Amino acid sequence: MTPRWKFLFAGGLVFILLVALIFVPVLRRRMKRAAKLQEQSAEQARRELTQPIAINPGDPRIKSKLFWASDTIDSTLAPVTVDLPLSNDPVLRSKQVLNTLLAGPVDAELRTLPPDALLLAFYLLPDGTAIADFSEALANSIPSGIASEQMAVNSIARTLEANVPQVQRLKILIHGQEVETLAGHLDLTGTFVVNTKPVQAPVQLAPAASGADKPSVAVQDKTAAPAPGLRR
Amino acid sequence: MPVQHAGLSVVVIDPSHGGTDPGARGTGGIRESEIVLSFAMELRRALEQQGFQAVQTRQGNEDPSFDDRSATANAQRGAVFVTLHISSTGLPGTVRVYVNSDLAPVADSHGFIPWDRAQAPFLGLSRTFGDFVQGFLAQRFKGSPETAQTASVRQLRTTAAPAIAVEISSVTVEDRADLDRMAPGVADAIARGAAAFRPSYVVPSAAGAQP
Repeated sequence: MTPRWKFLFAGGLVFILLVALIFVPVLRRRMKRAAKLQEQSAEQARRELTQPIAINPGDPRIKSKLFWASDTIDSTLAPVTVDLPLSNDPVLRSKQVLNTLLAGPVDAELRTLPPDALLLAFYLLPDGTAIADFSEALANSIPSGIASEQMAVNSIARTLEANVPQVQRLKILIHGQEVETLAGHLDLTGTFVVNTKPVQAPVQLAPAASGADKPSVAVQDKTAAPAPGLRR
Repeated sequence: MPVQHAGLSVVVIDPSHGGTDPGARGTGGIRESEIVLSFAMELRRALEQQGFQAVQTRQGNEDPSFDDRSATANAQRGAVFVTLHISSTGLPGTVRVYVNSDLAPVADSHGFIPWDRAQAPFLGLSRTFGDFVQGFLAQRFKGSPETAQTASVRQLRTTAAPAIAVEISSVTVEDRADLDRMAPGVADAIARGAAAFRPSYVVPSAAGAQP
């Protein structure tokens, strides 16, 4: 290499170094800003999804029965009466009671659902089938086991039974998907029977509901589907 | 018309979870999938003493699918099915027996039971079997219920035989030895429950047939 080329090469290196010194901190700042923006967008989306259901102060306060774990009998549910302003619309009303159920009782030990679980969506079909879509935390954070998973589903089903008479059956989705089990035990492929009584329309906003003290009712109601059979 | 005879002779033992699925985990490193396997060995011995043949859905650290586990039971004639679990909640030292929740009745004139509701025709027998086992467990483990509970246990739904889930509380014990000490009592209660149930079970002539 001639001295002239050496000089040009060294000059080029110095130039690249200077450019890097100027632009790398700028680039780093921009990347940090972009990451922060992405974080905010995810948080914003989450907030929008889980926005508390607007409570209309005009709605009458109803004595609602919510089902959490009993503090006296192991692995059973007990109704707790809570004064809530509830909508007359069954979907809004279902969201209100389920969000209150998810928020948990005063004694955190009596929770039936994980504290980080969210109700993402709730639909009510004309035939009375409710579809409740929960975040993945419902499946991932719940203590694994038949008793704990059954308690979780029963607390949802019985809270709906006690407060929303239009809900006849309940289908549970996790993050918009049908899953085989909640956390390895409880079957979520079917629907759970919630109410068997005929619905009186319009819904009366009388203090909610009757017959809630009977034993566990989350019974799976599977409709016939084509499947391989066993010969008789 | 199928010839019927009393003859419960096989108990299919299903140690739940396994492989990459450890099941419930305790803070002391206790894994449900390991404990149920040792309970299964103990149960096998107790059943053989009562004159039953024991078949396991897994012998080691495998994780057969729910359907594969049911298929092991559905391939037997004159079998009952017992799936073993350890809970992560509940009063430690107690044991609960579950039978499947109500399923829509099977009404198929061609003689086939839909796979996804294979348990439906056996629910009454499962309840009888479950109550026998729970009764023996309640005598031995104070605080356990007197009768079997109902739950929508996935593993039971596709099993075409009297089927129960037995869940022992719990992985929250500080020392694994506390659970290990329960194994002989749990195994003996299940084996005695199966023996008490034997006269009630009239086995149809074909495997997997409706009772």
